[in-house]
Amino acid sequence: MSVNWLTVAAQIVNFLVLVWLLKRFLYRRILDGIDAREKEIAERMGEAAMIRKAAEIAEAEHKAKIAALRASRADTLREARRSAEAERDALLAEARKQLAAEQLDREAHRAEEARKYTADLHRSGAEALVSLTRKALSDLADETLEQRIVAHSAARLSTVASELRDAAGASREAVALTRDPLPEKMTGVLRDELAAALPGFSLRFETDPTLAPGLTLRLGGAQIAWTVDSYLDGLDAMLEERTGRRAERGQAGAA
Amino acid sequence: MELTPDDSVVFMIGGFALNHTIFNTWIIMALLTLGSALITRNLRPDVPPNRWRTTLEVVVGLIHSQISEITGRRDRRLLYFTGTLFLFIVVSNMLTVVPGFDPPTASLSTTTALALSVLAAVPIFGIGSRGLVGYLKTFAEPSVLMLPFNIIGEFSRGISLAIRLYGNIMSGAVIAAILLGVAPFFFPVVMDVLGLLTGVIQAYIFAILATVYISAATAPPPDGKEPAKDQT
Repeated sequence: MSVNWLTVAAQIVNFLVLVWLLKRFLYRRILDGIDAREKEIAERMGEAAMIRKAAEIAEAEHKAKIAALRASRADTLREARRSAEAERDALLAEARKQLAAEQLDREAHRAEEARKYTADLHRSGAEALVSLTRKALSDLADETLEQRIVAHSAARLSTVASELRDAAGASREAVALTRDPLPEKMTGVLRDELAAALPGFSLRFETDPTLAPGLTLRLGGAQIAWTVDSYLDGLDAMLEERTGRRAERGQAGAA
Repeated sequence: MELTPDDSVVFMIGGFALNHTIFNTWIIMALLTLGSALITRNLRPDVPPNRWRTTLEVVVGLIHSQISEITGRRDRRLLYFTGTLFLFIVVSNMLTVVPGFDPPTASLSTTTALALSVLAAVPIFGIGSRGLVGYLKTFAEPSVLMLPFNIIGEFSRGISLAIRLYGNIMSGAVIAAILLGVAPFFFPVVMDVLGLLTGVIQAYIFAILATVYISAATAPPPDGKEPAKDQT
């Protein structure tokens, strides 16, 4: 057993080199890494503490807001109720307004329908009346309505001749207006009767589809008519009276 | 039978005989350095530590905490020195189990070199900590009469360190070699296991004693002034 001093020197150098190498590649890196990690952990813990503190502040603010909301809930509810009532009143007023407008529209529509119905009824009644009269005259007296009217008017001409002459003034032409053209036989009768009642007057026949069945005689500014208009007016009055009663009964029943 | 790897020449370099002690020391240095460099090459705070890095951190942390417990402060320079001392000795002793590998610590030259390193480190650390005058004053404590005894004690500490480590490692290797000849199938294994245990213990003792010696030399002066902590 002996000490090799050359080896001792080499080993001292080796050891010092190893100290430097391990310092360079082991201790410094490991310790710096641990320090960095500890620093990072400390920073994260600090951040966590700050976040926790912020969260606690936020929680306190939130709780305060909840308490304030609870305190003001009654006022908020009262305000909401008042607002809802105002909104409801406005909506009801609007609905009533619309209802009234619709009712007016309906009444106008109903009145229009009634008017149309009445007009249609009158027209149908008039046509039925004229038709029945024609039929009755044809069946019972073997005459037409126009014959009866012409006969009747011819008979009446003599009674109103003086008045007609006065009304005719300077005019010496009479115009016979009918809805449909008269048969030649009747025009002759009427022409004869006019010549007898009003000598010097000429007679001209004209037709107007808008006229009621009958005869209208014009002399200058005067006019005399034998038509079914007056009868139709009577029929109208009767129908209006009937429909008015029915409407009154309907309203009374609805009430 | 060779009692020391100093006598076993590996090859010659320019007339200098490179023995197994130095060659095996280089192997251990390469192992420690390359292993450390590989494990710590990608060491960043944002990279999670793997098991090797964690192992190294545990080892370095344990050494550092042991030194801190003895000295009462976190001194990185002491860690570099005694930590390397411990790692070198423990790895060297562990490699005893590798067949054909003569541990450098089984050479009295190596243990003498380590003891001389400690012997030199004590005044260096002491002067670095207390200053030259302050360090020299410690030899005259508690009185001037103790000066020769303190000087003898200073040198005897290094010698005892060297002999203790050499004796334990070399004896273990020698006993294992003898038993290998007597009962080659059982006792060598037991002795190798025992050698591993004593090797770790010896490394620990050597490093601890070195730390204690250096710590005594760098202890705070009586006036209570603390040296700088965590010195690099």
